[in-house]
Amino acid sequence: MIDPAYVTQILINGVLMGLLYSLVALGLALIFGVMDIINFAHGDFVMLGAYLTFLIATYFLIDPTVTIALTVPLFFLLGIAVYKAIIKPVLGAEPLIQIAVTVGLLMFLRNLALAIFHAEPRGVPYTVFSTPITIGPITIPLSRAAAGAVSLAVLYIVHLLLTRTRWGIAVRATADDREAAALMGINVERVYYTTFGLGTALTALAAALIMTFSRADPYLGLLYGLLSWVIVAMGGLGGVVGVLASGLILGIIESFGMSLISAGARELFLYVTFLVVLWVRPRGLFGRR
Amino acid sequence: MVKPVALLGGKSALYSIIAIAIALALIPLVLGYNMYYVYLAAQVVLVTIMVLAWNIIGGYAGQLDLASSGYMALGGAVSGLLLAFYNVTPWLGMPLGALTAAGLAFLMGYPTFRFGVKEVWYALSTAALVVILQRVFWLIYGSTEIYMPIHRWSWYHLRFSRYEPLYYMLVVILLVTLWLNIRIKNSKLGYYLTAIGEDELAAEALGIDTRRYKLYALLIYASILGFVGGIYVNLTSIVSFRMFDPWLGIVVAVMGIIGGLGSIAGVFMAAVILRTLEEYLRSMFGATIPGIHLLIYGLLLIVVGVLKPEGFAGFLKYFRRRLARGGSGG
Amino acid sequence: MGSAILSVRNVTKRFGGLVAVNRMSMDVRSNEMLGLIGPNGAGKTTLFNCITGVYKPDEGRVFFEGREITGLPPHVVVKRGIARTWQKVRPFKKMTVLDAVTVGALLKIPSVESAKERAREVLEFVGFPKEKFARLGSEITLIEHKLVDLARALATGPKLLLLDEVAAGLRPHEMDTLAKVLLRIRDELGVTMVIVEHVMRFVMNLSERIIVMHEGVKIAEGTPKEVASDPRVIEAYLGTKPV
Repeated sequence: MIDPAYVTQILINGVLMGLLYSLVALGLALIFGVMDIINFAHGDFVMLGAYLTFLIATYFLIDPTVTIALTVPLFFLLGIAVYKAIIKPVLGAEPLIQIAVTVGLLMFLRNLALAIFHAEPRGVPYTVFSTPITIGPITIPLSRAAAGAVSLAVLYIVHLLLTRTRWGIAVRATADDREAAALMGINVERVYYTTFGLGTALTALAAALIMTFSRADPYLGLLYGLLSWVIVAMGGLGGVVGVLASGLILGIIESFGMSLISAGARELFLYVTFLVVLWVRPRGLFGRR
Repeated sequence: MVKPVALLGGKSALYSIIAIAIALALIPLVLGYNMYYVYLAAQVVLVTIMVLAWNIIGGYAGQLDLASSGYMALGGAVSGLLLAFYNVTPWLGMPLGALTAAGLAFLMGYPTFRFGVKEVWYALSTAALVVILQRVFWLIYGSTEIYMPIHRWSWYHLRFSRYEPLYYMLVVILLVTLWLNIRIKNSKLGYYLTAIGEDELAAEALGIDTRRYKLYALLIYASILGFVGGIYVNLTSIVSFRMFDPWLGIVVAVMGIIGGLGSIAGVFMAAVILRTLEEYLRSMFGATIPGIHLLIYGLLLIVVGVLKPEGFAGFLKYFRRRLARGGSGG
Repeated sequence: MGSAILSVRNVTKRFGGLVAVNRMSMDVRSNEMLGLIGPNGAGKTTLFNCITGVYKPDEGRVFFEGREITGLPPHVVVKRGIARTWQKVRPFKKMTVLDAVTVGALLKIPSVESAKERAREVLEFVGFPKEKFARLGSEITLIEHKLVDLARALATGPKLLLLDEVAAGLRPHEMDTLAKVLLRIRDELGVTMVIVEHVMRFVMNLSERIIVMHEGVKIAEGTPKEVASDPRVIEAYLGTKPV
C-alpha cells in the first residue's frame, strides 16, 4: 500500500525544488523571450554564483543568504559586461553562432572553476537554516522551505516588475516586436542589457539559496543550464506563470522519480520529460506563440 | 558514364585523400611504434572521424548536434557487450552498433525536425540524450567497468597486443568518412543540406523536404559513430557509463565550428590540431590545471564566434581563392 | 485571358486576436500578371504564406490547377508548380550565386552538373552579370540579391510565381530593368505571376488587373485605372475620406 504521508512528503520536496528551479529558469526565460538570444551559459552563472557565495560566506563566516547583498548587484554588472562583450556582437546572428559563443563561455567558466577549485565540492561552513521542521510524519528541511518561499516571492516581484512598471512595459513591448518598440521610442539597447543583467543577477540569488542545502561544484552548470532550458521549453513564452508551472511540474516529477526509482537517475527524469514535451508540444505547454 | 575520378569528388580531392592516407599510414613508423604514442595517434584519428561525421549534420545541415559521444558510446556498448558477454565478433557488433545508433537517431530526429521547430530545441535534446543514455546505462549496469576479453588476440575478437591494427582500422574509417564528406558536398544531398543550413524556410520554399534531408544527414552521421564505437571500446578495453560523456559531444561540435562549418579541410585541421594540443596541454598542466584545454577551446570559440564565424576555413578559403584566381575559373 | 490557375476561397488567418486575412477570395488567371496591392499590414504577405504553405489557413481553401493545396507543406506546394520570392531577401550567404540557383534547379533536374547548367541559363535570363556567378551570397548588392532570389525561384520551373515586394528598395532605373525581366518571364516562359507591392507605381505599369487588400479583406478589383480612382482604395491609402 502507498503511505499517504510518504506521498505527501515526496510531493512537498518536489514543490520546494520546483519553486527553486523556476527561479533559476526565470532569468533564462526573460533573456530568451525578450532578446531571442540562445544562452547556453545560464547554468554556469549559477555555478559561478555558488562558488562566489562559498568564498564570501567562508571568508566572513556569514550565512550564504547574507552574501546576496554583494553577489546580486555584482552579477547584475557581470551580466551587463557579458552582454556588451560577447552577446551584443552575435545578436541576430544565426542560432548556431549564438550557441557556439555561449557554449564557449560555458566551457570557459566551468573549466576556470575546475582549474581554481578542482573537482571536489565546496560547502559553506555555516547556515542558520540547518534545522528541519517536523509536522507529524512529514519533515521539511528549513533551508529548502526558505529557498522555496524566497523563490516564490521573487517570482512574484519579477511578475510585478514586468506588469506594473514602465521598464516592464518596455521589456514586454520589445519582446513582442523589437522594431515597433524602437519606433515607439523605447531604448531597445537598454532593455537588452538590463534584461541580461537581471537574468544573470537572478542566478546569483538562486545560487545563494542552493548553497544553504547543497555544495558548489563545477558540474552544477550543466545540470542547471539544461534544467533551465527544459523549463523554458515547457513554459514556452508564457511569462512568469508558465515558468512557475513548468518548474513545479519538473520538481514533482523529479521528486517522485528519485524516491520511487533511483536517486542517482535524477537527470533521467528531467530530460525524458523534456523530450516528451518536445515531441508532443514543440512550442511548450504554456506557450503563447 | 561516370569517370572514376569524378566519383571521388574531382582530381584535387583524390590527391588530398591519397596524401592524407600516406601520411597517416607512416605515423606509427615515425613514432617508432611506441605504444603510448600510437595510442594517442589513434585517439586523434578517432576524434577526427567524429568531427568529420559531425560535419555532415552540423556543418552542412547546420543542426547543432551535441550527441556524437552518445551515438558512439551506444554503438560501442552494443558491440562491446556482445563481445564481452556472448563472444560475438565486433565484425557483426559494429554494424549492429551502427544500426542501433541510427535507430535512436531516427527517434530523436523525426519528431524534432518538424518544419518550423526552432533549432535550439534540437541542440538541447541532443545534449540531454547523452545524459539520458548515461543514466539508463548506469541504472542497468551500475558503476562497474566491463572489460573486453584480454589475451584473446585475434581478428575475430578484434583485440590485439599492439595498437597498430586498430589504428589502421581507424585510418581506413577516417578515409571513408572523408570521402563521404566530399561525395556529399558535391551531390544533390550536399546542395540541399547546405541550403537547409543557410536558411530553412528559403530551402523549404525551393522544394526541399527539410525534414527528410535532415534525417538523411542525421542517419549517416549516427551510423558512422555507432560503427566506430566498436573500435573505440576495443581501443580502451572498457565499457562503462563514463563513455556516455556529454562533454565529448560538445567538444566535437566545438571543433567542427572552430574548423569552419561545412569546410572539410578546416574541420579536418581543427580536429587534428586541437586534439593534439589537448594531449600536449594535458601532459604539461594535467595535474595542476585540469581542463585547461577546454578552457582554451572556450576562449577560441568565443573569439571565432564573435570575430570570424567562418573559423579556420575562412583562413583556408583566402588561400584557395588566391590560387583559384591564378588558375582556371569555375 | 485564360482560365483560373489559382483559386483562393474564403481564406482566413488569425494571429491571436488579430485577423490578418479575413475571408479573402481571388482568382489568378492563366498567364496573367496580377497585381496585389494594399497599404502596410493589409495581409498580402500573410495571404502569400497561406498559399505557399508557410502558414496553414484557419479557414478557407486554396486550389491550384483545380487541385486543392490547402495546408500542404511548402516543399510540396513548390513541387506542384508555385514558386515565390521574399519581401526581405533570404540569401544563401555562404554559397556562390550559381550554387544558390542550382539548389532551385535540382528540384526538377537530379544531376548536379545539369542543374548547374540550368542555373547558368536562368541567371543569364534574368540578366544577372555573368562575371559575378562565383560571388558569395554575402558579397552582392541588393538588386543582385533580388535577381538571385528571382532566379532561384524560377529555376524550380514554376507555372505560377508569387513575387513579394520584389521592387522594394530599388532605384527607378533598377525597377525598369526588373520590369523588363518580369515581362520576359511571362511572355517567353509562360509563367503566371502575382506581384505584391505596397507602392502602387511599379505594379500600375506592369499589371493588367489589380486586387486591392486592406485590413485583411479585398476592397477593390479591376484595371489599374479603375482601381486608382476607386474611393475606397484612396481612403485605404490616405486613411481619410476623399473630399
